[in-house]
Amino acid sequence: MGLDLSVIARNSNVLWGGFLTTLKLFGIAFAGGLPLGILLGLGRLSSKKWIYYPVSAYINFIRNVPLLMVVFWIYFALPIVTGHNIGRLPSAVIAFIVFEATYFGEIIRAGFQSVKKGEMQAAYSTGLTYTQVTRYILIPIGLRRVIPSLMTQTIVIFQDTSLAYVIGLREFVRASTVVNAREVRSLEIFGFVALVYLVICLAGSTISNRLEEEGE
Amino acid sequence: MANEKETLIKIDEVGKWYEDVQALDGISMEIDRKDVVVICGPSGCGKSTLLRCINGLEEFEEGDVIVDGVSVREVRGTKNIYKLRSKIGMVFQHFELYPHLTALENVTLAPKKVFNMSKKEARQKGMELLERVGIPEQADQKPGELSGGQQQRVGIARAIAMDPQTIMFDEPTSALDPEMIRDVLEVMADLAKEGLTMIVVTHEMGFAKEVADEIAFMENGNIVEHNDVETFFKNPESERAKEFVDRVLVHI
Amino acid sequence: MKSRGQLPALHFDKMGYQFDWGVIIREPYWRWLLNGFIKTLILGSISWGIALFLGIIVGTIRTLPAKTARAIGKAYVEFFRNIPLLVQLFFWYYVIPPMIGQWFNRMESLPWIMAIFGLGVYTASRVAEHFRSGLNSVPKGQRQAGLSTGLSNWQLYRYIIIPYGFRLMIPPITTEFLTIFKNSALAMTIGVLELSGQSYKIGTWTFHSFESITAAVIGYLLIGLSIIGFMGWVEEKLKIPGLVGRG
Repeated sequence: MGLDLSVIARNSNVLWGGFLTTLKLFGIAFAGGLPLGILLGLGRLSSKKWIYYPVSAYINFIRNVPLLMVVFWIYFALPIVTGHNIGRLPSAVIAFIVFEATYFGEIIRAGFQSVKKGEMQAAYSTGLTYTQVTRYILIPIGLRRVIPSLMTQTIVIFQDTSLAYVIGLREFVRASTVVNAREVRSLEIFGFVALVYLVICLAGSTISNRLEEEGE
Repeated sequence: MANEKETLIKIDEVGKWYEDVQALDGISMEIDRKDVVVICGPSGCGKSTLLRCINGLEEFEEGDVIVDGVSVREVRGTKNIYKLRSKIGMVFQHFELYPHLTALENVTLAPKKVFNMSKKEARQKGMELLERVGIPEQADQKPGELSGGQQQRVGIARAIAMDPQTIMFDEPTSALDPEMIRDVLEVMADLAKEGLTMIVVTHEMGFAKEVADEIAFMENGNIVEHNDVETFFKNPESERAKEFVDRVLVHI
Repeated sequence: MKSRGQLPALHFDKMGYQFDWGVIIREPYWRWLLNGFIKTLILGSISWGIALFLGIIVGTIRTLPAKTARAIGKAYVEFFRNIPLLVQLFFWYYVIPPMIGQWFNRMESLPWIMAIFGLGVYTASRVAEHFRSGLNSVPKGQRQAGLSTGLSNWQLYRYIIIPYGFRLMIPPITTEFLTIFKNSALAMTIGVLELSGQSYKIGTWTFHSFESITAAVIGYLLIGLSIIGFMGWVEEKLKIPGLVGRG
């Protein structure tokens, strides 16, 4: 039972295609999840009840449900809501944005809360409006404080995209199972997939650790 | 009086580095039994490090400290270091009370665990100590519910709970609000009257003048001047100590 | 290769999608859901036992003075933290069993064994990090205060550092406990019919996946909210005045 690494080369097309889909999914999920997360973070600190309660309910609801179920749920709910078949990629993208934004939101809220009252009051005392204080004081200071946590969460998202597997989207992991079904070389194929994730995520967490040290 | 003097702690050319920064520079000093010695000097001069070398909380690379005939260097890493430490109480700048235990439990933990004192006995002793430092009513409160002055008095009670012959204070009042400083200094003055050997790192020169027998002035990891209180304040030998005295006396 | 079914299509007619919430309570489906719910509880709990046990060991190793020990602990954590759990489960399920032997590969409870094991060793890496950072967050002064009264190293850990650090760990460990039940949903991908697996199966039988999955979501919510409630109560009981809690 020797290792046969040529299966990777033989199927590099399929694997590469899956990897690109993973990157696409990750990129869109991040680009959509972060802004929504900022809004959620602001909403969690809002003094207006009609903002605070729905936002909190949404966050607490999603955070108590497995991502896998959210992916399924959105996949089956979208056709019902829209009356059309939406397709796997858009469905997965929406699921990840909806899900990851709540995690971003809680991290960002903690960042906002770490901004000192005095700094905010100083800004208000110079005549800035709520929007201006939020835009120029709260978001820049608050976000900067939580960059390491946001980085960590971003790495988690990258790994989480593998769950699009369950609705049959041919991302990296699904692509590898397709190859494996043909080649039955699970050690080489899954070992390769694991290695790719390991290298990318390790690199990411190394950068995040360095940022954290510099921050101190 | 002089013939009664007996050296209790002998610091013998102790040198210590943090990485490549020298914290103690071959420092030597003798502390007599029942004496109250105040150590002062600019921050970063090695005062706190010196205290931690005496009870072996910090390791040192050179020299030795002899406490009541026991070499810290020799007992370091053995069980006897615990015995040595229990004979030297220590009070910390930031109190360092155990936040998950009540004031009374903070005081009685070591007697119960090191001396195997019974619960009842430890409780009785703990209450006596809390009365002695003036806060028996706070016995069942947790440190987070006490004021800084109250916390530091619990810290003192904890330090004397093992009936130590020596007690070390590491800037005991510098984290306190001005109105609480006096309470704590009074407790310390009472302890001095009871004949405890005391080593006090502090900037409270009023306390030094009234309570201390000797003063040591430290700078750059060494002792610049070590004299009796009167000489130190009236005729300091070193230029640096003179400058320091001139500066602090304005405050008194 | 073990087979995997196609996704069930939803049942549409001219009027659009016809909801049928009855599938949740009809025979035999409600039994499947209940069965899945119980299996999720069992799966999460046993894996949690492994995760806690292993996590405390690895976390402690990461605080030891010996450099090699620390490096091993770190390697463990980094390895499990940087590979998606799904890939890890595939590895445990497809790669490892044939290496152990055909008798093992053919065991009927193989999905269960590997799901519990995989979830456990994965979560252990996260528990280890919380354990380590909890112990490390105990201020240095506490150690010095304890030692200065003559406590031994063992007594110091037993009475000061572990009780103090333990309280700091409660919030992150609670989150981890919650997460293991959520992550246990991934076990369906290697053929364990727990709550999500059962709800999926009901979908393939009835073409009413939306309803059955909603039912499972409610099941997970129930588990999550009860854990939060319980741990909130524990935290309140063990609260240390003056220490900042969850916020």
